[in-house]
Amino acid sequence: MSLHILDIVENSLAAGARKVEIRIEEDLPADRMMVEIMDDGCGMDEEMAQKALDPFFTTKTVRRVGLGLPLLAEACRMTGGELCLQSCPGKGTTVRATFQCSHIDRKPLGPMTDTLMTLIIGHPEVDLIYEHRKDGRSFSLDTREIKSDLGEIPLNAPEVFSTLRALIQSGLNELEG
Amino acid sequence: MTLREAAEKMGMKPVSGLSRLSREFTRGYVSDLLSDVMANAKAGDVWVTLQVHQNIVAVAALKELAAIILIGGRQPERQTLAKAEEENIPILLSELPAFEVAGRLYQMGILGKG
Repeated sequence: MSLHILDIVENSLAAGARKVEIRIEEDLPADRMMVEIMDDGCGMDEEMAQKALDPFFTTKTVRRVGLGLPLLAEACRMTGGELCLQSCPGKGTTVRATFQCSHIDRKPLGPMTDTLMTLIIGHPEVDLIYEHRKDGRSFSLDTREIKSDLGEIPLNAPEVFSTLRALIQSGLNELEG
Repeated sequence: MTLREAAEKMGMKPVSGLSRLSREFTRGYVSDLLSDVMANAKAGDVWVTLQVHQNIVAVAALKELAAIILIGGRQPERQTLAKAEEENIPILLSELPAFEVAGRLYQMGILGKG
């Protein structure tokens, strides 16, 4: 699932997003999991948003197929969930994927730390907000706060890398209780 | 062996890409995980799967696979069939389980590697 998330956020970045919010909610009593990715990119009109779920639609010119959203949509559907796409030209796009948590075909979340580090290091100029709730516990990260704490030091400086990685990893570990 | 010969020998029903059934193939790949197929299947492979969603046609087009074999009597979704027709990708339907499909292909000289 963390690779799906990386894939969708790459869409946001290709759409010129300056701020991306990733929200994950694991509601075990209700047996639901929600992954939401909100960006302030260029957005899509209704026609394009419809086409975005078609695997043969892509904005890329090097390949004819675009599987980011179609694969995530199918992963949702296989577990009795759904993918909801809301977009407004000029304002941004929100992708909300829901899953039945306990469904045997639900993909595990996977190495979310790697996904976050890839995004932060690869795109330090983009503001990334991550919020993850599970069982009443929560972990959140806002690169705007980290950037202001760091001052002059860039977010992708080598000495920041391991500290940031450890921070994310321990935050996510605490969620597991 | 051509796709048509394989279909006849194994009682598979071609439902799309009929103009490409004379294509020869020598290799196959079995997987139901699309990302795995994208990573490991090779151009020209026949792909054996239980997935019936239209994403399989996109994967087959991307990887230039020779054909998709749907196993266990599964039917492609309507959109899957429409996309396969548009892309001219053969889909063959088999009543057999995946293990049996792969086994019979292997007996006929179709390999998983090489």
